Amino acid sequence: MAIPFTEKRSWLYLLQQCAVSCAALAILTAIAFSLHFPIAAAGFMYLLVVVLAALRYGIWQATCISLIAVGCLNFFFIPPIFSFVVADNRDWIALLSFQVCALVVSRLSSRERKVARDADYQRIQMEKLFELSRGILIFDLHAPPGPQLVQLLRGTFSADDVAIFDADLVRLDHEGQWSPDQRQIARQAFLADKNDDDPSLRTTQRVIRIGATPVGAIAIRGEVDPLIANAVASLAAIAFERFRSYEKEARAESATQAEQLRVAVLDALAHAFKTPLTVICTASSGLQELGTLDKTEVELAELISQEAVGLNRLCTRLLQTAKLEASTVTLRTEPVVPSILVKEVVSQLAPTLKGHPVELSIQEQDTPLQGDPELLMMILTQYLDNAAKYSPPNAPIQVTVRESESELLLSVRNRGPLIRMQDRERVFERFYRSSDARDRVPGTGVGLSIVKKAAEAHHGHVWVVSGEQEGTTFFLSMPKLQVGGTKAWNLE
Amino acid sequence: MESGVILVVDDEMSIRRALHTTLEKLGFKVVEAARGEEALSLVRTNPFDAVLLDINMPGMNGIETCKSMRRLFPRIPILMLTVRDSEDDKVEALDAGADDYITKPFQLRELTARIRAAMRWTRAAAPSPDEAAAVLRVGDIELDPVRRTVKKASRPVHLTPKEFELTHQLMSYAGRPIPHSRLLNSVWGPEYGGELEYLRTFMHQLRRKLEDDPANPQYLLTDAHVGYRFVEKLDR
Repeated sequence: MAIPFTEKRSWLYLLQQCAVSCAALAILTAIAFSLHFPIAAAGFMYLLVVVLAALRYGIWQATCISLIAVGCLNFFFIPPIFSFVVADNRDWIALLSFQVCALVVSRLSSRERKVARDADYQRIQMEKLFELSRGILIFDLHAPPGPQLVQLLRGTFSADDVAIFDADLVRLDHEGQWSPDQRQIARQAFLADKNDDDPSLRTTQRVIRIGATPVGAIAIRGEVDPLIANAVASLAAIAFERFRSYEKEARAESATQAEQLRVAVLDALAHAFKTPLTVICTASSGLQELGTLDKTEVELAELISQEAVGLNRLCTRLLQTAKLEASTVTLRTEPVVPSILVKEVVSQLAPTLKGHPVELSIQEQDTPLQGDPELLMMILTQYLDNAAKYSPPNAPIQVTVRESESELLLSVRNRGPLIRMQDRERVFERFYRSSDARDRVPGTGVGLSIVKKAAEAHHGHVWVVSGEQEGTTFFLSMPKLQVGGTKAWNLE
Repeated sequence: MESGVILVVDDEMSIRRALHTTLEKLGFKVVEAARGEEALSLVRTNPFDAVLLDINMPGMNGIETCKSMRRLFPRIPILMLTVRDSEDDKVEALDAGADDYITKPFQLRELTARIRAAMRWTRAAAPSPDEAAAVLRVGDIELDPVRRTVKKASRPVHLTPKEFELTHQLMSYAGRPIPHSRLLNSVWGPEYGGELEYLRTFMHQLRRKLEDDPANPQYLLTDAHVGYRFVEKLDR
């Protein structure tokens, strides 16, 4: 464990400790000398002082005391006394053993003391981290995490200053005495993407990362261990992350609610329209059925019927699109043979295509693909409706189906006007209608956006190619997913 | 002029009024009910030739009313009026025992045609064994259930056994829509019901064999998302 700043003692403090120990030595020496203690007894007493110094102050103080103790032993107890001369060589051995003994004992005891102190220190740091994480857990998730975090950090670590830079919200929060300029240290740490510990300024900087991405930085002035600072940065990252995900969730929820409301309103509107439409249709078609009208009256009644039917179709489509837009599309997939599906749609739609003949070109490959038949039919219906809308009268619509082992390509071509380059992407956007079409052809601008959504749900995509000469062709391509686990085809 | 007594059940006053006026003018006698419960008690006490029943009603809805009515009178013709475009509703209506459905808004001509057809089915007595064996004829198509042969314009058409079953089923209920699941059930067996692709494939084959122009079918009609219907009689 690295020695934190608290271990740095001033020289004065050291001297004071030595003085206390020396005083203890002097008192012991006076007692032992006046009572004529033998060398061994005096040695043990000195050893006691050295061990106590080691336990209480540390190894260096203990070493120092042990040297003085050896001096005293030599001067007062080893003959000739009151001199540092040692007459008997055996006494050298005694002195040397004392010194070694004192050093070893003081080393062991000071280590013991250090371990105990480190454990204590760690416990305190852990408690602080725990307090910090608990504080983060009860953060108010509606408010940005920065201000709450600086306050909590400063309180927990009794730091002088704490500054946090939040890169997402672009805000700098600070608690303490730092001037506005000094606070910028957090922003600089983020910009430089640098972790740093500066013992002289007692300042620690950490970049806050979510995964590998830096999202902010933290700067603390105070006694904070570098490892603890790392842990603090991780906890700060968690606080950031929680705030972000909560915000995202809240946003998604409000979006869902808005969407639900929109669908409910559309649904109610469309249904509210259907009742009067039914009455209008019944009444106008009833008039025609009676057969009592003259030619003009029949014409007028027909007009009412026609328009009511048109209005109804619009309602129906709005309702369908609202439903498709409402939620993420859930596919009800089943094996679909594209050629049959296309023929079915074409035969269903033929009467509504305003006299445009449909030219089918199908490369038969009657292997089924996995898809949602309703959505696929909807895509083709939309393409055909569009083609009929934009084609010049009686121009043919060409429908082409091409298949490979892995892919389906479907295209619907009409002789309609050019779709300009800048509009080709955007016609698939919701409510977008090209400026050329807006005035000429009725429409809502929703149909193709739904087509795109349906195609994407099938992992396919849609695009349009258009030219003055060759007309406009809408495409759908989609992968043929493997038909797995379905019942064998019972064709007989 | 038409004839018959029709019960119109709809919670919307304007729709009842429009139907009342127009149908009466065409010769039907019309009785109105605004709620399912009211309709049920009327049906118990008065004879009706057909019932027009709205699906969406407050209180007892159309589906429940239809089920109860069917239990009381197995042979009364019931036509459901649906407003939703949800196909599930239509299938549910047919499963509840309705003979047919018609989507609002509708043309009066279509409505009267459906009413007439429904009344005809039920006026005919329950099929006796003789009738079950009788040859079915619609337009140019002729199906002999005993010999298991199908002819088109007097020329035999070769059908596989499954294709024959399918045609037989559809022709026996000519004019009425049969939901996909019911067709699959009765032709393939009770464990089938959701395999629409089988049906599409077979209908495709059948149209190739029976229709003049398979892309514009005259006999084998698709009721979008609901099922298929064999035309009751050919307009020519």
